[in-house]
Amino acid sequence: MTPEQIGSRLVELLGEGATAETTFEQVTVDVPSQRWVEAATLVRDDEQLACGFFDWLSAYDAVDAGIAVVAHVWSNRHRHHLLLRTYVSREAGRLASLTDVWPGTNWHERETFEMFGVVFDGHPNLVPLLLPEGFEGHPLRKEFVLASRVVKAWPGAKEPGESDRDTGSPGRRRMLPPGVPDPAVWGPDAAAAAEGSAE
Amino acid sequence: MGLIPARGASAPVPVSIQGVGVGSRVAPAPIRFVLNWGRRYSLWVFNFGLACCAIEFIATSMARHDFIRLGVIPFAPGPRQADLMVVSGTVTDKMAPAVKRLYEQMPEPKYVISFGSCSNCGGPYWDSYCVTKGIDQIIPVDVYVPGCPPRPEALLHGILRLQEKIAGESLADRYHWAPAHHIRSVSAEALQAPLVAAPAGPAAPPAPPAQERS
Repeated sequence: MTPEQIGSRLVELLGEGATAETTFEQVTVDVPSQRWVEAATLVRDDEQLACGFFDWLSAYDAVDAGIAVVAHVWSNRHRHHLLLRTYVSREAGRLASLTDVWPGTNWHERETFEMFGVVFDGHPNLVPLLLPEGFEGHPLRKEFVLASRVVKAWPGAKEPGESDRDTGSPGRRRMLPPGVPDPAVWGPDAAAAAEGSAE
Repeated sequence: MGLIPARGASAPVPVSIQGVGVGSRVAPAPIRFVLNWGRRYSLWVFNFGLACCAIEFIATSMARHDFIRLGVIPFAPGPRQADLMVVSGTVTDKMAPAVKRLYEQMPEPKYVISFGSCSNCGGPYWDSYCVTKGIDQIIPVDVYVPGCPPRPEALLHGILRLQEKIAGESLADRYHWAPAHHIRSVSAEALQAPLVAAPAGPAAPPAPPAQERS
């Protein structure tokens, strides 16, 4: 089956709410988060799809759309593959666990849980896998503050003789690297400003 | 073995006291020279290999570079038999307690070479959320070898520098900060203590909105 055929087959099976898109010979099927397990079971059990091999499950922070959870599965019988994707909300995102469909999702869901804060309902052992004990926050989210970057400014000089204070051309927009919040809303300046306004 | 009162405990607990013998500390210069000479040319090395730098360490121990000719004997059976620890690779915050624990298990006098940018300062992961920015935050380091990863020649140079340092050192100076009869002694209760509980204070201090790492 071509990627387009795989996508249209799954959308046909799922009906309302599912969409498929093909980019670079790779099909991604978006399913509603309520039908996540149903979609996974269909992908595994359907004769034409037959994706019995679970490859990986992860997530990415799709800022306004929420947290996108992605699973990649492969069919040994037909030698095709597809990506299943769904979006959960940033605050208290919950998703049903796929451990009953593919037991191998166990550790992947634990990692997604600690890195993105997505709670997987029905997971047998949802505890942090890699992060040290007592770690606060979800480090792969966009809003996670990388304290080292805040403390040590990104070396902004691009030409010899420039310092990181004055980056040469005035037209160049000063950019904050990922993981560094705006100093007006986070950090010592913001705390001082908040105290000043409180008084 | 000695008996020292543990902090906050009613009865003293026996702990083994690490340190060097009194003879080493009061030895006159010629004897100290001989002791240092013996120490510098029989460094049993313990490789704390965590990443690609460990491969360079192994290359240094093999036939082409062969640091055994400098008296550095690789692959000690464990930290308890080693004189020198080479931390080669990226130390994460989760691994850092293990590094410290194995360092504590080594007998005195002990030396540490920090091999590669990651263990020196975090290296390319200087802004990561999970990488320790330099092992000198948790254990004392004698020689830093820069590079990413350093070539085996760099490690050889680092070992030569360490041997120069050992040749010129006096253990009385090295441990000058410790009382003469218990050096780096730790009570057994302190070693077995659970994690420190968070104080039960008022609910939310006016903290920054996002999470903050200590």
